[in-house]
Amino acid sequence: MLLYNENHNRKEVLWLLTINNLVKHRGKQEILSGVSFKARPGRVTGFLGPNGAGKSSTLRILLGLDRATSGSALINGVPFAELQNPLATVGAALDGFGAHRMRTGRAHLRWIARAAGLSRSRVEEVLEIVDLTKVAGKRVGNYSLGMGRRLGMAAALLGDPKILVLDEPVNGLDPEGIRWIRTFLRERAASGKTVLLSSHLMGELAETVDDVVIINHGKVVAEGTLEEVIGNHATLEEAFFALTSEHAGDAV
Amino acid sequence: MSVSSRRKITQILGAELDKLITLPLIWFTIMGTFIINLVLTRAFTSAGLQGAAGTQSILNIGLASMGYLQAGFIILGILATCSEYTGGQIRTTLTTIPWRGFQLSAKHLALAIITIPVAFIIAASGVLYAFIMMRDTAVVIEIDIMIKTIAGATGYLTLTTLLSAAIGALLRRTTPALVVLLGYYFIVSPLLRDFLPSSKNYFPDTAGSYMYMPPSSDEINVLTPMQGTGISMLWTLIFITVAIVFYRKRDA
Repeated sequence: MLLYNENHNRKEVLWLLTINNLVKHRGKQEILSGVSFKARPGRVTGFLGPNGAGKSSTLRILLGLDRATSGSALINGVPFAELQNPLATVGAALDGFGAHRMRTGRAHLRWIARAAGLSRSRVEEVLEIVDLTKVAGKRVGNYSLGMGRRLGMAAALLGDPKILVLDEPVNGLDPEGIRWIRTFLRERAASGKTVLLSSHLMGELAETVDDVVIINHGKVVAEGTLEEVIGNHATLEEAFFALTSEHAGDAV
Repeated sequence: MSVSSRRKITQILGAELDKLITLPLIWFTIMGTFIINLVLTRAFTSAGLQGAAGTQSILNIGLASMGYLQAGFIILGILATCSEYTGGQIRTTLTTIPWRGFQLSAKHLALAIITIPVAFIIAASGVLYAFIMMRDTAVVIEIDIMIKTIAGATGYLTLTTLLSAAIGALLRRTTPALVVLLGYYFIVSPLLRDFLPSSKNYFPDTAGSYMYMPPSSDEINVLTPMQGTGISMLWTLIFITVAIVFYRKRDA
């Protein structure tokens, strides 16, 4: 099922992410207990929560890497595995480099490009965008944490996707890298694309996100625009700690 | 099959070939196997020349190292599938190619495309070495028997590589896969041959050995090369199918 923006004369696909009542059991443990939220086009949605809250598990299910025990995670109404052109639809960068340590950065991007029918010149373009051209011939095992994150970002951007899903994108980046990510994500959203990013670093994200979803112990405890979630608190960070502390109240 | 499906298959096969070709470990394994095989063949040939190996033919001596040589191909198969789990590459693979059964099948096909010429060259090099060293002493053999035998050895090594890749995909980690496969081929199988002589011809390695070994006149219940190929191929297909079923069902 595709969703359309009826305000436009011509039908335009809304690149919407819909997480609906996700439950995930791992062994006897319940990792996710009915997580629901949406990430909308033209906006940066911050998916925030402490380590182990269920952020990565949710994103992994959204990207078809893990199976949900129940519930659904859909991209334009379909599961990830049913996308016709996954790389041109969703660009994903999860934790770690996502690349074999012994392969060069360029070779890593080239096999991805080959799988999606993209040209080698596109590989050089994304290397340029993330400023990795000079080290593209080096093995990934020699990359710093920041360089590895940028390689993951390059892979996510290869297909110029409508949607970006990023797990802890500022982790391991230096201040300049964090600033670059912020500007880059704002530009993506401004061009009508959908950005969903997870983080446990509130301070780094307050200036980047439009919408906020806060998850704790596998449950969404707050969802809304940045202003709605901050509410009466002075900062997003204060709101976050208030909402995720042991005796936090019900969802906003 | 539509044009776009055919293009997609070609792209994914190309990507899987790229992955194998750009992984230095694959080349180290192939080169190491080639060199060690020549060293072993030299030793077996010297023994043959001194009469210690009796009146074995050039083929027997040239392929005498097959028992050890297969270890290199077992490692090759394991590396092909287990390397996906190094550096989180599997996440990149599945977000680029989310059609899991299709992707793992393409990986096995790409591995076969690389393994067939490599196995042929390595098997032929051993026979060629033995031929050069023993051409004055050994009995004359016909070229068609030589080609058939080398082709059988190539087929056996290719099926062993694919079976190892399937086991690697099931276990996902290199060391356990190495322990299981090398343990089977070098300890369990030789022991079982003594304890279960009636069913030894149905093991993947003993059945496969009839693909290249001339039948011994003092042995009963021997298989024809075609029977050996059939049984060995069946084992390989069973393990590939089981690997695909698990790969499709479980979390990445």
